[in-house]
Amino acid sequence: MAELAAWPLLSILLALPVAGALLTGLLRRAPWAQWIALGTAASTLCCALLIVAAFDRADPDFQLLDSADWVSGLNVRYLVGVDGLSLLFLPATALLFCGAIVAGWRVRAAASPLAPGLYFALLLLLEAATLGVFCALDSILFFFCWEFTLLPLYFLVSLWGLGAGRQAAAVRYFLVMLAGGVPLLFGLLALVFGQAAGGALVFDLPTLLATPLPESRQYLVFLLLLVGFGVKVPLVPLHTWLPSLAMGAPAAVTALLVGLKLGAYGLIRFAIPLAPIAARDLHWLLAGFGTVAILYGGVAALVQSNLRSVLAYASLAHVGLVLLGLAAFSVSALQGVLLQLLNFSLAAGGSFLALSFLQRRTASTDISQLGGLLRSMPVLSGFFLLFGLAGIGLPGTSGFPGELLIIVAALHTHTGAGLAALFGMVLAAAGFLAPFRQAFLGPTRNPDVADADDLLPREVAVLLVPSLLILAVGVYPLPILELIRPAAEAWVAALAGL
Amino acid sequence: MDWLEALLPALAATTQLVWLVPLLPLLAAAAIVAGLLLRRFNGDAGEPVIAAMASAGALGALLLLLVFDLAALGGAAFEPLVFGEWLRIGAIPVRLSFVLDAYSLPAATMVALVAWMALRFSATYLHRESGFPRFFLGMCLFLAGMLLIVLSANAVLAFVGWELAGISSWLLIAYNWERPLATGNALFVFLASRVGDAGFVLGIGLAVWSAGTVEWVWLAGDGSMSTVTARLLAAGFVLAALVKSAQLPFTPWIARALEGPTPSSAVFYGSLMVHAGVYLLCRLQGLLLQVPDLLALLAVVGLTTALYGGLCALVQSDVKSALIFSVVAQVGLMFFCCGLGLFWLAAVYSGLHAAWRAYQFLLAPAYMHLVRRPARPLPRWLAAQRWCYTAVLQRFWIEALANSLLTRPTLALGRDVRALDERFIDPLVGAPRDDEPVLGTDASDQLIRGHGLAGRALFAFANRLQRLESRLLLSGDGALSRVLRRGVGYADAIESLLEQPRYLMLMVMATLVVIL
Repeated sequence: MAELAAWPLLSILLALPVAGALLTGLLRRAPWAQWIALGTAASTLCCALLIVAAFDRADPDFQLLDSADWVSGLNVRYLVGVDGLSLLFLPATALLFCGAIVAGWRVRAAASPLAPGLYFALLLLLEAATLGVFCALDSILFFFCWEFTLLPLYFLVSLWGLGAGRQAAAVRYFLVMLAGGVPLLFGLLALVFGQAAGGALVFDLPTLLATPLPESRQYLVFLLLLVGFGVKVPLVPLHTWLPSLAMGAPAAVTALLVGLKLGAYGLIRFAIPLAPIAARDLHWLLAGFGTVAILYGGVAALVQSNLRSVLAYASLAHVGLVLLGLAAFSVSALQGVLLQLLNFSLAAGGSFLALSFLQRRTASTDISQLGGLLRSMPVLSGFFLLFGLAGIGLPGTSGFPGELLIIVAALHTHTGAGLAALFGMVLAAAGFLAPFRQAFLGPTRNPDVADADDLLPREVAVLLVPSLLILAVGVYPLPILELIRPAAEAWVAALAGL
Repeated sequence: MDWLEALLPALAATTQLVWLVPLLPLLAAAAIVAGLLLRRFNGDAGEPVIAAMASAGALGALLLLLVFDLAALGGAAFEPLVFGEWLRIGAIPVRLSFVLDAYSLPAATMVALVAWMALRFSATYLHRESGFPRFFLGMCLFLAGMLLIVLSANAVLAFVGWELAGISSWLLIAYNWERPLATGNALFVFLASRVGDAGFVLGIGLAVWSAGTVEWVWLAGDGSMSTVTARLLAAGFVLAALVKSAQLPFTPWIARALEGPTPSSAVFYGSLMVHAGVYLLCRLQGLLLQVPDLLALLAVVGLTTALYGGLCALVQSDVKSALIFSVVAQVGLMFFCCGLGLFWLAAVYSGLHAAWRAYQFLLAPAYMHLVRRPARPLPRWLAAQRWCYTAVLQRFWIEALANSLLTRPTLALGRDVRALDERFIDPLVGAPRDDEPVLGTDASDQLIRGHGLAGRALFAFANRLQRLESRLLLSGDGALSRVLRRGVGYADAIESLLEQPRYLMLMVMATLVVIL
């Protein structure tokens, strides 16, 4: 694999969707623009898999580094690399985007007067920015990618969204995220200026990690970053954009937003390791936010009237569990957190993709409009059930090992919060199976539901891949956990060594 | 028995295949799912195939177990069998380890035998039912889960089986999924069993941190564990056992669980799954014997449940309900035995009881034809005590109590949380809502509207600025106002350009570049 590792794989990974976006954007009227988009997404997925193959599993450091000068006067560089913590997010992202592109197949032309190619171009731009977030190692490059995800999302939601509230949801998401970007930017600047006592400014992550901040500055940096990432996570008082976006955005786009938990990744990659003393001191803050999110999301999911907002609140509970795991600062908990994040990409992403197929058939995901879906769409119902069960952590799915690792660790470090998470297990089961019962089981009430066709072969293919991955990881989780372990050990050691 | 001794090494060697025992039914389940996805089962022609696959899985497991039994009878001593690592919690490995001992072998054989017979029975019982494949899928999953519970040598693997049994019971209770009653009962049962699952996870978590292991054999520790730790550790597992075996106060779920097809009720609640709690207690006896107060609690709960089940069984008007309450009563007696420390007695008892109940439940649909006598009347002493009769008939209001103490408050909390989101957090953060009433009379012709705290503050500030500006304009002389007016004209033009999305995009990008 040595010769493979010599290639600038990460830059190729980032360049592929950008090139695809330009091409589909230019050829946006052509009926085969979607094929270009799918080809791009598929080759990006292949590239991500190549990166996994070229990755040295024993090495806890950043690998496959690639750099270039960007703004040389400020010492801002283009620097990308992956380690065990970020590696698996790349194929997960690429896979979800493949699914989202297939979910947008051919219908976009009918749904909107705009050129269908534009939809795919924006999706690919979003893919490039998201991948950029996962492999950027320069804090300014990271921030650039972070904010750049907003643009395609804004247009995807406002132009192709669902219902009358789509404009409002798009504006709201855009504004809330911009507002969240401010503390994030200030946090990064405080970090950089805190470090550069006299010397040149340093923006690249490896150097920043090697030179610890003065302790007094760490609290400021940590809190600013926590708020900045917390908007995206989302933390509980800042979460209301999520259900409104889930209602307004096309379901396939929501799959990307909910499936790829960028906020949690930001906390793992930046907030905690860059301000380790503050993070360890304020562990109760993380655990507290996590507990509140678990209970709040779990309880709120019980009373929602639309499947999409049910899943949005369930996803709130999911990130609560992730935050609780982060607060434990132990290797097994961090492994659990990362496994759980990947599981949510598959499970929550898959659920929303299934809902986008459902939405296209019944024109609604409102629970009162559904009922008895199992009769006309048994395959779709089966997939949705599997994704939901993975979301509530049933053994045999990839949701179980992560949840177990997190709860076991939390019971040790934050016993009260761990008990709350156990209660959250019960709530989560109710929050999924009760709406499932109302929407998928019972008598058929709506003629649209009764006449709907089951999944097409390409839609089955889109849902089958994440399902098989969910089952494979659930049946034998050890390889993935071992892949994460070296980087997780280094992460925890850096925190404990202070 | 010379031949047995000659065969013994070969028989003992077959125990290396113990992992196949839970895997075979799982493979049968996978085959059924694959067949469903590929639409291979069409109508009557598919039924024998499905039934054969499921029975083959169960029969294979049964035959393997019988071979192990034979080896055990011949006197082979089994070590715990370990097949690699499955997971690692910190430094503690969770291994694919199985145990074959005097508890697990008879129990596993019983499970496989009863399940195999029930599967054979169902092949004709469910003939031409639309959910035929679904039923066999659920049964296979259940069998795999139950065999995992019984055979696994550690808590995590047993928990995997524990939850598999739980979800397959959900699948089968909701078998008639078009009837809201059936699906409601399935939900109720799954949530009740989920409470026990939470207890199980609590037990696993405490085992990891206090005993440093998840293997059943070492869980009891070396006697150095403090009573408090042991009590906490055991409490989680005991909670799980109480829920799974439908002991008080968790009994109500089992009466609702009978909604599924009769063969599945027979296997799950009549015969096998209801005894899983007893089996778990037997596995934990080393630990439980260190905490006498918990044993006393078990004895009390078991005895109370026995009384409760016996009383409720008297007033049931259908066969299955009457049977299920007497099952609960008998299992209560087993818990009583465990509470007295007589774990071997409970194990033997549960085996005998399981065999008898499986037969009785499978017979239940035909019972009315077999028994010519009228139903037994209410005992006179119960009929005489009116309040007591009411209490028994209402099953002591346990379910109503749980409903008003747990379910309803949780749902009310959910509604409160939604109201909190909509009435307070949204306005505070400043989210435009479609249904928000327009404020003021002339608000509709304003270009922008302030939303929420942040939005209103910004809006007020902008208004103040505008007033300041217009006052400047009015009070200033002509030259200033002309210049300003021209400036405003340009600004308007720029603004109208900016309103177009592509320029907005450009501007945001430019801002980004400036920032960098």
